[in-house]
Amino acid sequence: MPTLTFPLSRIEGHASVEIEVREGRVLSTRFKANEARGFNYFIQGVPAEQISVIVPRICGVCSTAHHVAAVKALEDAYGIIPTPLGRRIRSLLLLGQMLQNQSTSLFIFTMPDRLGVDSLFHVTEEEATKETQFNIARRALQIRQLGTNLITLAGGQFIHPVKAVVGGVSSGILPEAAEAMRQKLEHMLPMACELFDFYWQMSIKMKERIGTWGDDAPAYYITSTGEECPDYDSNEIRVLAPEGVCCQIFSPRHFREHLTFEETDYSFAGRTSYQGQVMRANSLARANMTRRMGTPRADEYLQFVFETFGHPAHPILLFDLCRGVELVYTIERAIEMLSQPLHNEDPSLPYTPRDGEGYGLVEAPRGPLIHHYVIEGGKIASGEFIIPTVHNMLAIERALRVAAERYITNDSVNLELEKAVGRVVRAFDPCIACATH
Amino acid sequence: MNSPALPRFAVLQLSGCAGCEVSLLNAQEWVERFDLVYMPLVITAYDVPEVDVLLISGGVRSDDDLYNLRRAVQSAKKVVAVGTCALSGGVANLGNRDDVRALFMSQSERRHLPRLLPKSQPVDSFVNVDLFLPGCPPTPELFMAALLNPPDFTVSKVVCQECGRKKLRDMRPVHLLGFQTGELDPEICLINQGYLCVGSSTRGGCRALCTRPGHPCVGCRGPSDILIDKDSFAWLESIQRVFESLADIPGEELHEALVSPQLALFLFQFSDYSAPGKAPRPKEKIL
Repeated sequence: MPTLTFPLSRIEGHASVEIEVREGRVLSTRFKANEARGFNYFIQGVPAEQISVIVPRICGVCSTAHHVAAVKALEDAYGIIPTPLGRRIRSLLLLGQMLQNQSTSLFIFTMPDRLGVDSLFHVTEEEATKETQFNIARRALQIRQLGTNLITLAGGQFIHPVKAVVGGVSSGILPEAAEAMRQKLEHMLPMACELFDFYWQMSIKMKERIGTWGDDAPAYYITSTGEECPDYDSNEIRVLAPEGVCCQIFSPRHFREHLTFEETDYSFAGRTSYQGQVMRANSLARANMTRRMGTPRADEYLQFVFETFGHPAHPILLFDLCRGVELVYTIERAIEMLSQPLHNEDPSLPYTPRDGEGYGLVEAPRGPLIHHYVIEGGKIASGEFIIPTVHNMLAIERALRVAAERYITNDSVNLELEKAVGRVVRAFDPCIACATH
Repeated sequence: MNSPALPRFAVLQLSGCAGCEVSLLNAQEWVERFDLVYMPLVITAYDVPEVDVLLISGGVRSDDDLYNLRRAVQSAKKVVAVGTCALSGGVANLGNRDDVRALFMSQSERRHLPRLLPKSQPVDSFVNVDLFLPGCPPTPELFMAALLNPPDFTVSKVVCQECGRKKLRDMRPVHLLGFQTGELDPEICLINQGYLCVGSSTRGGCRALCTRPGHPCVGCRGPSDILIDKDSFAWLESIQRVFESLADIPGEELHEALVSPQLALFLFQFSDYSAPGKAPRPKEKIL
């Protein structure tokens, strides 16, 4: 039997899956990232102060995370602690990013799998679900646009933000603008919950049809979010063992002692392991490693996830449901933050640039993101990007193997396999532009 | 939204960051007015079908990109290149510096993957383009204008018109500040405050989203109409003239900052001009 190739869609970037089969036995499952631009090479020589404008262009989906991680890395190198207002506005920026990403992943990337259609937008004439799709598409775009609006308010530009600077942010947020945004979020919260409830019901139906929430084995989990409740701007990374015990805490500076990187000849992305083991990053990792969300409606959803699936929970389709919990959280939390004054304090502080080395960490939608720069003569001498999608590569390939073994037998390949490949990959919401940079 | 009578459009993403696609998703009006038939980011579909409009984002970086580009344009009545990468290579154009390129190419050879081309190239190096939509990324309004092509649509000549910061003759810095240093006055021109802002020579239409909160314009919308058919020298001169009227920064200091190939500014504004001997793009084809 030849190698089966599945081009991927409804994910960020260019990738495909290859499954090698012989006599009904799955020999390998490979996730191929098919693009590369070379950011880690061409940032060499760039004036350090400009890096936070260049690196958002690694990825238009995760741009905010790169923007903030770069600024944090410079602050680490310069020995600067940002102002409290600067940190609050950056937190808002990261909430906007999370809101935009989780609503896109839920409603635009993975909802079609639950509805059994190719997309929310293009409907072939014979399909009877046209009106449903139309309704979801309109609401999905409205909710994700809230995230973009929040990014614009806190970050300046709407895709590649510019407002985070060494020491804080370049300006505060005026009360009228904050209040207008707060009202928009209040207004949209019920609609977001309603659409997520619908998503959940459709997920249950899908589970009944395919017979599983995901039967891959438990794994290690990695995140940098808060232990008590979410914090996308922390300075430490934690690892959870499969049985649910936190087994490692480290600062971004020490990542090499815990994570092992490996290149492959079939993907531009490479892959990471934790002490030789498969690990998972992204929404399920955060849910498994956070006690509570800290906002009322998101906490109800999270409790329901734990009661239904246990804690820690391992089935991979829960990545999708946990994204919904986070979607609700980001809206609620942004409402809280916008209710407090975000101006009339120092947005940033004076600093003196210096040469050296810096590490910046943020919890991006896909997991902990690290930027590392060496600065010489005010210019970037070298830089590296430690990308959460890369931490998920082994987990994706392992989950793909489980799916392949489920649908490939000695004499046939069940056509459901193609859909299963899409579901598995989308559960991890990989970002290829980031992974290959 | 999807009756067969609606015009059909497709989005082909080459090597880029998907920021253009994200911006397009923010331009929600197309949902009601167009049938989006191909866009791998949001649709499971394997080939570009016949379409009225094909939007192409990203640079041509690999043999895969080139193959997909050449195939896709065959199915399109109108081809629109969107975003700085498709127009000029964008930020990835930094990788075209010879030293960086040699290192990158030597370490990016993979047995079972698309081959990288020697350089990242704009879309119109290979195929005919009917409309150019510059911006990193273009705003949702610009996307809608590219799709609907309203006859009376115009953009501001330069970013300054949309920025609205006051230009002063009597507040004259003597040196350039870095991008991120110093206290900012929210009302006064960034040049008066010592920043290397090139909004005065950059095509408007972006709503001055960067300069209003205080970040100097890096020129992602490319040259304004007056400069588009001139060479980069004329362009540099124009920026220098603006600085002379608002600041007392030594000419050499300014020149060095403007032409440094490592500066973000250079990538956005001058990468258009990186192919010597190529005719400038006609201004009526640029939105």
